[in-house]
Amino acid sequence: MDRRGFIKICAGSAAALAMGVPRVWAEDFRDFSQALLTDTDGAPLKASTLGTEEAYIFHYPYKGVPCFLINLGKPAASMTLSGDPLSAEKGPYTWPGGVGKTSNLVSYVAICTHQLSAPNKDISYLRYAASGSELAGAPGKIVCCAHGTIFDPAKGAEHIFGPATYPLVPVRLEYNPVDDSLAATGIAGHHLIDQYFKSYKRDLIKEFGPGVYRESVGGHTIMQLLSKYSESIPAC
Amino acid sequence: MEQDQDLSRRNFLKLGVAASTLAVGGTAVSGNALAKTMPSGKTKAAIPKAKGPRLVIVGGGTSGLTIAKYAKKEYPTFDVVLVEKRDMYASCFSSNLWYPGIIDLEFLADHSFLDAARNNNYIYFNATVNGLDRSARKVITNEGEIAYDFLVIAPGISYDYEKIGVKDVETMTALRQTFPGGFISTTEHVTIHRKVQEFEGGVFVQTVPSGNYRCLPGPYERSCMIASVIKKNKIKGKVLILDANPEITIKKDGFHAAFDELYKDIIQWMPSSAVTGVDVEKKIIKTEFDSIPFDDAAIYANVRGSTLIEQLGLMAPSTRSNQKEADIDIRFYNYIGDPHVYVSGDSRRHPYSKSANTSNTEGKYIAKVLAARAQGKEIAWVSPRTVCYSMVDADPMEAISVDAGYDYDPAKDLISGFSKDTKTFEDRDVAKGKATLEWARGIYRDMFDA
Repeated sequence: MDRRGFIKICAGSAAALAMGVPRVWAEDFRDFSQALLTDTDGAPLKASTLGTEEAYIFHYPYKGVPCFLINLGKPAASMTLSGDPLSAEKGPYTWPGGVGKTSNLVSYVAICTHQLSAPNKDISYLRYAASGSELAGAPGKIVCCAHGTIFDPAKGAEHIFGPATYPLVPVRLEYNPVDDSLAATGIAGHHLIDQYFKSYKRDLIKEFGPGVYRESVGGHTIMQLLSKYSESIPAC
Repeated sequence: MEQDQDLSRRNFLKLGVAASTLAVGGTAVSGNALAKTMPSGKTKAAIPKAKGPRLVIVGGGTSGLTIAKYAKKEYPTFDVVLVEKRDMYASCFSSNLWYPGIIDLEFLADHSFLDAARNNNYIYFNATVNGLDRSARKVITNEGEIAYDFLVIAPGISYDYEKIGVKDVETMTALRQTFPGGFISTTEHVTIHRKVQEFEGGVFVQTVPSGNYRCLPGPYERSCMIASVIKKNKIKGKVLILDANPEITIKKDGFHAAFDELYKDIIQWMPSSAVTGVDVEKKIIKTEFDSIPFDDAAIYANVRGSTLIEQLGLMAPSTRSNQKEADIDIRFYNYIGDPHVYVSGDSRRHPYSKSANTSNTEGKYIAKVLAARAQGKEIAWVSPRTVCYSMVDADPMEAISVDAGYDYDPAKDLISGFSKDTKTFEDRDVAKGKATLEWARGIYRDMFDA
């Protein structure tokens, strides 16, 4: 299954190359085991049933790494972005755009690239403000309440205001039109995960158990609304 | 380098001979006199030989810690040494939240200089700087001297008690120890915390100085935090804010709303009430028009650039700073005429808010300046950013905030004011209250983690 997915991706990359898309995409995304997105009962989620009012959260590729999935309600096209200028993985990369029937579903690691604010069960300072907010102004932006950064999920989560200097790290999704399911297959910018694990080690041990936060999520991962996962979501 | 060492040794021997002569002669020479004779830094600091251009940073506050980390990231060839006189860190920012118990002291202090240095590949050197030889490019500490290629001095602020009419050193000392301002050191915060916990009623005075003091909303926020304790514990007392300024200096609508709606009978704000003197013994504070008795107080004197700036000969003339700040280039922070020495953080002469987020964002820019100059390049000026929350209610936690940038006027070579995208968020709410804590945690992570 993983190998089949990998071959599909390679084929896609080759096609993209042929079309003149920058070739860094395959280099920047790191493959991880494919994880099917499920509901809390373990049933595969149907992409067509996902709402647009708030972000969904799942963990990938490790049990301690939160990711957002957002239904933009409109297509999101591929684009080239600049990554962390101070990391070993620096340089531009190509964000593949949305997936799903209308290319409307996007996914990012839910860790602010400024100072690593991230959702936990108690609180999430990072959220998708579908209908706008005091901080974001316009609708459809991801806001980090800690220091006022705003990201645009329709444009690869590029940074549009505030102190962050590069986009949220993208998660690669695959959509299966046959059964309307979604799976995560990889992420870019793994340095952010390393940084996050170091910074949050005490908290992650407390929330997930020693070493557990670093374990692979395996073949499936639970996805739910952020408001069901985090007790408090400041609406800045 | 070896030649310097030989010279140092010869000088040291010469001084030693002189000292022996005095001692043998039987003249009553005190230890203090000898200490004055002996140059304090003629031994080398016990740190490894530099493996690249050495960047020495003096001061492990927000500015120094940020520059140490990001200069190394921007230019890994740098050999970075952070010289800090404290052996334990605790932040001044967020300290107001401790008074009503929103956070504990651990929140401020559970951050290690050792971890910061190890995580970010630099050296933390626990020493006090007491001299500078710019011609030899050496900084002198109580633990020996350190040669530098680039030097950043980030020592923060000192209080200027003379500006509140306290000119004799006895009163100044008594005031500093009895009614500390609480905007520099942790021991001040501990004292104020005790005062708040032990306050049983009467008048608690919080003064607000004039000028560009550290943390413009800080005294107002602290007043709210003390008032929230008074309110919660139903104490018959009030907070009297003696404000040297005619209006609240920042987020005025948000603070006025909090004063009026949350603490109507608890906070009394008196504008245009600059302190002109304090009788520490009798607990009387004087303004131009009043002599006000009080029960306890946090007396925040005016601020100036750290006295270290003056001691090291880096102070600007009064035409360029009326707060004894450093005489540095407005865009690139180097001491005027010396591309090897920089001053950052709250001793800068800029009209920026003297606050943590300003120093944190400014520090990242200065790191780029240093990295560029180490490679013979220059970069364009970038404004720091002042993102600053102020808690106005402790239960529930509610805050207001500001997000400010600054404009540079090239014709006048000065910072001309706030940038157009500056915004204030003055409707207090719980969302901003919670964000206040994460704001601080983010800065800690940024300074101490990899």
